[in-house]
Amino acid sequence: MVDINLSFLLRLIADGLLIGFIYALMAMGLTLIFSVLRVVSFAHGEHYMIGGYAAYYLLEAFTGLHPLLAILLAGTVTFTIGAIFERIFLRPLAEEKVERPGEYAILVTFGLGFFLQYLTLALIGPHPKKTARYFDLPAFELGPITATAATLKLGTIPLSATRLTAAVIAVLLMFVMLYVIHRTWLGRGLRAVSQDKQAAAVVGINPLRMSTLAFGMGTMLAGMSGAALVPAFAWVPAVGAPAAVKSYVIIVLGGMGSIPGAMLGGLIIGVVEALGTGLLPDPNRAFAYRDAYGMLIFALVLLLRPRGLFGRQE
Amino acid sequence: MELDVRDVHLHFGGIRALNGVSFTVRGPELIGLIGPNGAGKTTLTNVISGVYKPSKGAVYLNGERISGLPPYHIARRGIGRTFQVTRAFRRMTVLENMLVPAMALHPAGRRQEFVERAHEILRFLTMDHLALEYARSLSGGQQKLLELGRLLMLDPDVIILDEPFAGVHPKLRETIWEFITTVHQQGKAFIIISHDMETIFTLSQRLLVLNFGQLIADGPPEQVKEDPAVIEAYLGKEDE
Amino acid sequence: MKHVDWRWVLTGSALALAVSAPFLLSGYPYWLHVAIVAYFYAILASSWSLLAGHAGQFSFAHMAFMAIGAYGSGLMGKYWGTSPLTGIVLSTVLAGLVGLIIGVLCLRLKGAYLALFTIAFSEVLRLTLNAELDITGGPNGLDLPPLLATTSRVPYYYLMLTLLLVSLGFMYWLAGSRFGLFFRSIREDEEAAAAMGVHIVRYKVLAFVITAMIAGLAGGVEAHYIGLITPNILILGQMSIVIAMAVIGGIESLLGAAIGAILIQFSLELLRELGNWRLVAFGLLLMLTLRFARNGLIYPLIERLVLYQARRAVIEGREQKAKQAGEGA
Repeated sequence: MVDINLSFLLRLIADGLLIGFIYALMAMGLTLIFSVLRVVSFAHGEHYMIGGYAAYYLLEAFTGLHPLLAILLAGTVTFTIGAIFERIFLRPLAEEKVERPGEYAILVTFGLGFFLQYLTLALIGPHPKKTARYFDLPAFELGPITATAATLKLGTIPLSATRLTAAVIAVLLMFVMLYVIHRTWLGRGLRAVSQDKQAAAVVGINPLRMSTLAFGMGTMLAGMSGAALVPAFAWVPAVGAPAAVKSYVIIVLGGMGSIPGAMLGGLIIGVVEALGTGLLPDPNRAFAYRDAYGMLIFALVLLLRPRGLFGRQE
Repeated sequence: MELDVRDVHLHFGGIRALNGVSFTVRGPELIGLIGPNGAGKTTLTNVISGVYKPSKGAVYLNGERISGLPPYHIARRGIGRTFQVTRAFRRMTVLENMLVPAMALHPAGRRQEFVERAHEILRFLTMDHLALEYARSLSGGQQKLLELGRLLMLDPDVIILDEPFAGVHPKLRETIWEFITTVHQQGKAFIIISHDMETIFTLSQRLLVLNFGQLIADGPPEQVKEDPAVIEAYLGKEDE
Repeated sequence: MKHVDWRWVLTGSALALAVSAPFLLSGYPYWLHVAIVAYFYAILASSWSLLAGHAGQFSFAHMAFMAIGAYGSGLMGKYWGTSPLTGIVLSTVLAGLVGLIIGVLCLRLKGAYLALFTIAFSEVLRLTLNAELDITGGPNGLDLPPLLATTSRVPYYYLMLTLLLVSLGFMYWLAGSRFGLFFRSIREDEEAAAAMGVHIVRYKVLAFVITAMIAGLAGGVEAHYIGLITPNILILGQMSIVIAMAVIGGIESLLGAAIGAILIQFSLELLRELGNWRLVAFGLLLMLTLRFARNGLIYPLIERLVLYQARRAVIEGREQKAKQAGEGA
């Protein structure tokens, strides 16, 4: 029997849950892209990475810029990149002018990821960038809950203010997205195209424009995820890969194209990673394997239930 | 040759696509399979060719159970099929398309013999001059003929054609008609799905009528034409 | 009049150049090294094009099989004391076995799902190699003894060249045989191939096993040549380089992919002072090739040459016939 330190484990789970919200937000972007374009973007991690850098440089350039505004602007940057890319490289796909569309979509988005990754490396270099904490917590003490500027303590469980902020932002953004998708004209258009392109076109929705918007919004969510998390990590050009892989795991787990699936999947991944890390006795090795747990879930889901938890049957 | 479909049921989730279908094909019969949209015609061919496993019941070929076998085993045992939409191997030449079934069936066979046989069949289909073209450069009708040619290379005992006459212009219809009658005379059984009543009533010797996943009639065309259940199934549909 | 067959002229001079390269580059051992690495990538790119371009299985685990060949041989030498040669042979078999397992697991997966699954496999392998410090050396890598008892690069050059030519020859034979025919029929339409009697399970798995073994073999030889292997070879960026080489060369052409790999490897070295901008340009080229020249940049040239010769042959045949007819009259 392995001796498990309960409070250590709880701390890991709390950490996992907080990060899980960001992963869920990112996965929501992927899901949005997939449901409208039927494409899995393999450049999602790079948009996340660029979003982070955009926020970092914006805050560097304009002292006093509100972090929330920086996150929004970072989202605008990745939206623009995504929309331009869609317009040039994915438009023929939406117009059904491409042979072997599945293969093309995989390779061309992969190519974009490759391009953005090295572009960042060439422009910025490999040295990590670090942003200051976005918000300080007000210090207080309320029974077992205590807070300092950097940490909120629930009993013995510390929550980092940075991650807490990121999680709150992620939840807010998810609600905004749900509102946009379910309550606005734009959302109706996106949903119509995702269900039936031809029918949507008949009722006057331009499926091509919806594809561009969906891809842009998907990359925007990735960018804002990165921007929200940039104070939590040392930011390097390769930072996107693990985050992207996690969002792939989430959309497969939750079911391709399912938004509730993406949200639940994100939390599951966060917790499983925390538990996996906590249950391995050797801490170094446990940390090194952290990213592997998600993959294992992923492999199992793909093999046993390729539809995921909430996926529609194709 | 005897193909025996025994009490085949197929459920997808809560939907009953097939509900106890039974019939037997003995020797080289020419059978038409008709029924309103969604009656389960294509589903039935998918069960016979092994794409779906029946939830209940089984399919036997010459006394041996074939349901449950993967599609490629069933194809090798002598059941060939086309699909509703043409599915030529688009980025392969016509000749390569033709070689696939022959070489799958006879791993030890000589390629040269298959090539000769393929040319012979292509001449019969009047498309020998296209042998080295990529399938994707053929017209829709030519791709349809290519699929029939592939079937001959597979040389099955039972040929299942899913809507061979759909969206085909009159000249090609004649060629396909001729193909079916000629090959049938050579001793092959046919099961042909068609919406084209006139053609199917003239062409087939026996008609199977499916409705809501059940066989509601089985007999010679003249008899089926008069069958009250069939008339109701079709008239009922027109009333909608 | 007899026309020159440019196919043989080009193949002949390319081979002559490849064989004489060690003499031409005798004062530049570094460029001989570049050539060895280029051949290594050529093997990887062309075997990936067999798997993806011919059999239609867009796997991102190709570098993982390469790494299995490399680490397998290194670890067998470290723990069992096997010689590099035995190690390479055994780890090639090991790569084939893992390829078998991955192939079987991937049977039901298509398109993006297959890509994601193979990325996950590759990443888990990388994380494991990084984590098991005591066994694999972790991020610092694993030292491997040299395969050949020599300090010269020339024998390695000929070894890698032979490996490239033999594997290309083998893959061309395979692609032209019924295996290749079935691979392509599965790529085009799996269900229709099955309806035509093609044992799709066997051939899909076989495509994985064969290409995994080729990658494993190349990995083993390369690792013993370099003398060090690190988990970094498994990062996605490395896999993208192989994919880009194959795509730019021509994903459906084994030779196109190999030539693409060699040209790209050399140009990356030639443009060394541009640093990461080389890869930026390279990524852009990858995207533009996909968008505007789906068959790659090298393959259409090869195809044009072959077509040109075929037409020549037809014209010559006609001329000859006409001449004979003239003589007969």
